[in-house]
Amino acid sequence: MELAGLYVDQFPDGDLTRDRARRHRVKVFPTVEEALTLGRSSLAIDGVVIIAEHGLYPRTEKGQTLYPRHEFFQRTVKVFESSGRSVPLFNDKHLSTDWKECLAMVEASKRLGFPFFAGSSLPVTWRIPAVEVPLGAPLVESVCVCYGGLDSYDIHGLETAQCMSERRAGGETGVKSVQAVRGVKVWEMVAERESTQRLFSAALARSFTCRGNDRYSCTVPDLDWLKRNHRNPLAYFYEHLDGFRTSVFLLNGLVSDFSYAGLERGGRIHSCQMFLPMPPAYSTLADFFNPLVKHIEQMILDGAAPYPVERTLLTSGMTLFAIESLYRGGIQLPTPELKVAYAAPTQSCFWRA
Amino acid sequence: MRTLRKIAFLLEEFSKPSPAQQLVDRFLAGWLMDGEFRRSPFESASAYVMLSTNPPDLEQRTKDFKLTVVPRAEQAIESADAVIIASRKPGALANERFVRIALDSLPAGGACFTHGALANSLEQAREFATLARSRQIDLLAGTPLCITWRLPEVNLPLATPLSEALIVVQANPSPGQASPPSPPSSLRGAELHALEGLLPVIERRRGGESGVRSIRFLEDAALWKAGARGEWSWPLLAAALSRSHSPQGDALLDGRTQDLVGLGLVPNLARNPRGWLIEHRDGLRSAVLVLDGVVADFNFAVQPRGGGIISSQLYRAPTPAEHHFSRLAAVMEEFFRTGKSPWPLERNLLIAGLLERFGQPSSRTGRTVPTPNLGIAYPS
Repeated sequence: MELAGLYVDQFPDGDLTRDRARRHRVKVFPTVEEALTLGRSSLAIDGVVIIAEHGLYPRTEKGQTLYPRHEFFQRTVKVFESSGRSVPLFNDKHLSTDWKECLAMVEASKRLGFPFFAGSSLPVTWRIPAVEVPLGAPLVESVCVCYGGLDSYDIHGLETAQCMSERRAGGETGVKSVQAVRGVKVWEMVAERESTQRLFSAALARSFTCRGNDRYSCTVPDLDWLKRNHRNPLAYFYEHLDGFRTSVFLLNGLVSDFSYAGLERGGRIHSCQMFLPMPPAYSTLADFFNPLVKHIEQMILDGAAPYPVERTLLTSGMTLFAIESLYRGGIQLPTPELKVAYAAPTQSCFWRA
Repeated sequence: MRTLRKIAFLLEEFSKPSPAQQLVDRFLAGWLMDGEFRRSPFESASAYVMLSTNPPDLEQRTKDFKLTVVPRAEQAIESADAVIIASRKPGALANERFVRIALDSLPAGGACFTHGALANSLEQAREFATLARSRQIDLLAGTPLCITWRLPEVNLPLATPLSEALIVVQANPSPGQASPPSPPSSLRGAELHALEGLLPVIERRRGGESGVRSIRFLEDAALWKAGARGEWSWPLLAAALSRSHSPQGDALLDGRTQDLVGLGLVPNLARNPRGWLIEHRDGLRSAVLVLDGVVADFNFAVQPRGGGIISSQLYRAPTPAEHHFSRLAAVMEEFFRTGKSPWPLERNLLIAGLLERFGQPSSRTGRTVPTPNLGIAYPS
C-alpha cells in the first residue's frame, strides 16, 4: 500500500512531517481536499486515515480539547459526495467531543456506505495473558484500571473495557447512566460495590506498573491503603440498559498501564493486561500501533471494518457524558442518547501474531 | 506434598533491584498469580547474607515479616523446608559454596532452588545433582527467562522436527537507550539468559534435547561473515528482531520504524557483537547472538523442518516490580510443594556445561570446538 498524500494541520517545533515526506517522497497538500484528490478534481485515493490527538486547539470549559476530527471527517465526506465515490475511513480515538457530531459521522458513513473504523489501539494490542471473553459469555460487569486524563486516555480505558463487555450474552444494549467521580469518594463508592471492588483488585493484579507500596513493589495495594495514599483518583461508573456495569479508573501515579477484569454471572473472572509497550520508558517504538495499522490496511483492502463503528460511537458518548457528569459536580447523569445497541464481531481482533 | 513452613535464603548480598530482593520479597509478602495476589505459603524465613551482616533493606523486612537474619549459612537452613540461593546480580558466577551447604545441611526431603546457573562447571553441577539425589533433596536452578511471558504466546509443538534456532540478546544497554527492564548484565549473564530463553523452546523438538556436539565463538566481522556464509541464519535474526519492542538505530532518533536486517543496518549498529554457534548432536544448529546496540530485549526464532518460522519475544516486565519474578516464584512454590521439577535438571547441567566452555579461552578462538562432555540428552 502506498501513502499517497498528507494533510497536516499544524507544524510545531520538532515537526517530523517534512523530513518524513521528503524521505518517502510523499506530497504534503495545503488542504484536506487536495490531500484526498491529490490536487485533482475528484477523490484519487483508496482509503483515509484521520488522526487528531495532538496540537494546539481550543479547550472547552469542561476540559475537552476541540481536536478537528469531526471537521476533517466532514470535509472528507464532502469530497466523497462531490466525487460520487467513497472509500474506507479510519478515525483515531473517539469521534468527537459533541454527541450530535458523533452521530452525524456514523450516519454519514451509513448513508454513503463506506467502511468506517475508529477508536483506540487498546482493543487490538497484545493481551497478557492472551485471554478472550467467549462470545455470549454471561458477563455482568467490566472494570478497567488505567491512567491518563480527561478526554484523552479515558477513551482508551473505555475501549479496553468495551471490547470485552460487548461480547456478553445479548450483545451491547447501550448505556443508561454515567457518574464521574474524582477524589476519595471514588474509594467510598468502590467499597459499597462488592463486585466492582473484586474486579478492581483483579485488574490491578494484572498491572506490571503498580506502585502502591514503594517498599514491596511485588504487592498490590488494598482499599484502605488507597484511601490513605491515593487521594485524587478519577473514575467513571456506567449502568447499561441491560443492567450491565462498567467502571473505568484513571489512577495517575499508581499505574501506567491498562488492565481489565470482567465478572461472569456465577463468579468467574476474566482478566488481563492490554499491553502497551510505550516509549520511551518501556520500548523504543510504540508497537501497539502495528496491529491497528494492520487492521486499517485490511479494511482498505477488503472494504470492511474489523468491528462495528458503534463500539466507538458508544465509547465516544461514554467519554463525553462522563465529562459532563464531572462538570456538573459528579452527578449521576441519565444518558438516553446512548441507546447504542450492536453485536460484537465473532473475532475480537486482538493481536496474537 | 511437602508442608511449607520455613524458607531459607542464602544471599551474596541484598540490594534493590536484584534477583535476591525480588525473590525474597515474594516469599515474604507474596506475588501476583493468575490475576490474584497470592500470599507466601511460608510461615517464617531466615536469611544469611554473605557481604553484609544486616543490610538496611533487609533489616526493614525483619520488622515487617517473620524473617530472621543469621550470621551463618548453616544456621539459616536449620529446619527449613526449602532454600533459595541468589548471587549478587543476574549472571554472576554461581555460589557453589552455598549450594554445597544447602545440600549438606537441608533436612532430607527438602528442596533447593538456585537463581541463575546451578554451578560453574559441568563436573560440579553433576556432583550437586548426585549429592541432592543421595540426600533426597529436590534441586533445581533457573531464571525467569525460561518461564516468562512470550509475546506472542507461542510454543514449539512438542516433537516438531527442527532445523535451526536463534536467540538475540543484549549484554549492556546503549547510552541513552530506552530504560532497560533490568540492570546491565555481565558478559556471562547475557549468555546465561540466552540459554535460559532458548533451551526451553528447542528442547521440545523431535527427540528432545540431544546434547551439544560442538561450539564456535565468533565476534565482530567474523560473526557477519559467518552469517553471510549461512552458518547462522539472517532470516531467523530478522524474524527474532521483528518481535523486539526496543530496536535501536533511528527509532531512537525520531521513533521511525526500520527493517534493521533488510536495510543492512545490524553490523553498523552492533557494538562488540559476539555470537556462539552451537551444533547439537541431532544436527540442530543454534545461534546465540549478543548484539548490544541492536536490541534491548530478548527475542528468539526457530525454523521447523516443515517450513515456516516461529518467533517471539521473551518479555521482561518493567522495574521496580519485574513481575517475571512473580511467575518464577509461582513455579518455585509448586516445585517446593510437590518436588516435581517444572523442567529437567539436565537442562541446568547443560547450561552449566555450556557456560563453562564459553568461559574458557580455548573456546574463543573462532574455530569449532568439540564438546564431547556435553552429550547431555533429555526429553522436554
